[in-house]
Amino acid sequence: MPKEVEGEYEVFPDNPHKTYGLMAVVKGKSPVVDKSPEDTVMTWPHLLIRELVASVVVMAVLLAISLVLNAPLEEHANLTETPNPAKAPWYFLGLQELVHYSALIGGVIIPGLSLFLLAALPYLDRTPDRAPSKRKLLTVVFTVFIIVNVVLIVIGSYFRGPGWSFIVPWRGGSVQ
Amino acid sequence: MTEIIRLLSRFITGNRVWKSVFRAESPVTERGQSESIFHNVWLHIYPVKVRKDALRFTYTFCLGGVSFLLFLLLIITGVPLMFYYVPSVEQAYGSMKDLEFVVSYGLLLRNMHRWAAHAMVITVFLHMARVFYTGSYKSPREFNWVVGVFLLALTLGLSFTGYLLPWDQLAFWAITVGTSIASYVPWLGPSFKYVLIGGNEVGQGALLRFYVLHTVVLPLAAVLMMAAHFWRIRKDGGISKPL
Repeated sequence: MPKEVEGEYEVFPDNPHKTYGLMAVVKGKSPVVDKSPEDTVMTWPHLLIRELVASVVVMAVLLAISLVLNAPLEEHANLTETPNPAKAPWYFLGLQELVHYSALIGGVIIPGLSLFLLAALPYLDRTPDRAPSKRKLLTVVFTVFIIVNVVLIVIGSYFRGPGWSFIVPWRGGSVQ
Repeated sequence: MTEIIRLLSRFITGNRVWKSVFRAESPVTERGQSESIFHNVWLHIYPVKVRKDALRFTYTFCLGGVSFLLFLLLIITGVPLMFYYVPSVEQAYGSMKDLEFVVSYGLLLRNMHRWAAHAMVITVFLHMARVFYTGSYKSPREFNWVVGVFLLALTLGLSFTGYLLPWDQLAFWAITVGTSIASYVPWLGPSFKYVLIGGNEVGQGALLRFYVLHTVVLPLAAVLMMAAHFWRIRKDGGISKPL
């Protein structure tokens, strides 16, 4: 029972059964930092419906492609008959292109260093801002890294013929 | 229209069977929608609520999610392929021919597996680019980027080991070229190549090793890394805010 003492009263009256007490009132945040009530929506249905739609689209596209295009299958593997040129899977053709220039520098040092720098990127980049315009140097370096990768893969895929010579695909022959 | 959907969902979800299966009230109330997430073993890695701006398609392009979906599709198509495939140099190529000419929908199965694998390499790469350009690898998400780089390496490893299995000219020489690049690494390279292909040349040893790596070791490693990857997204406060 609140005891009224000249205008004051106890918010939490004494109670022999009480096993808790108010220690302090602190300003706090909700467990999700920077979350305010109005900028969130329920995961079900808002997020899950979108993921479902995206999944159906991806599966439909994959099925359509697979109905039209057949996976490649060449002759039975033959150790005595080396194709010229012998090519690695497409995503390693940039690597093969580099190996063509130098086995040690192109095949080991450059890709090894790139992979290490890629993994260590968050610890090397000390710029506080997330926007690419606020970390221009890194953005340029990364973009060049991507473009070089793509260009090397395209060269390895389409512009390399017998003996890894440079060819022009639409002429179907060797330039050199 | 909204009323029809509401009535329909109440009809489907507001009964004892639904409640016994999903341990959740009908998801027409916010309470039911919350329970649908956190009372479900597969969904409870999601938060009950997400930021509105995290849903914007042009921020993520669904690239991480699509990569994961493709991984699931690769498992779903990969298991029936294992029913027909024999990892021996005498029978592997015949398995490919059987899939094409004998097994119902065998060719479609193999096509889907092949194209999904190529697509996954591309989406994982693009996902990495998106995370870079949005600066999402910054604190507190630094380590999740590192996990992502490992997942990229695992994706390439999965694709590379699968490349050998058809045992045709394309497979054989691509793996011969690919593994010879590994042998250029000073000191460790030649031994690594020897252990990887189980001999000096790509043969039965390499085929069996690649098969085991492709169907057991690397998928398992990828699943474990993905679990860490997704858990960290949640722990690091959901996906980063749009710029």
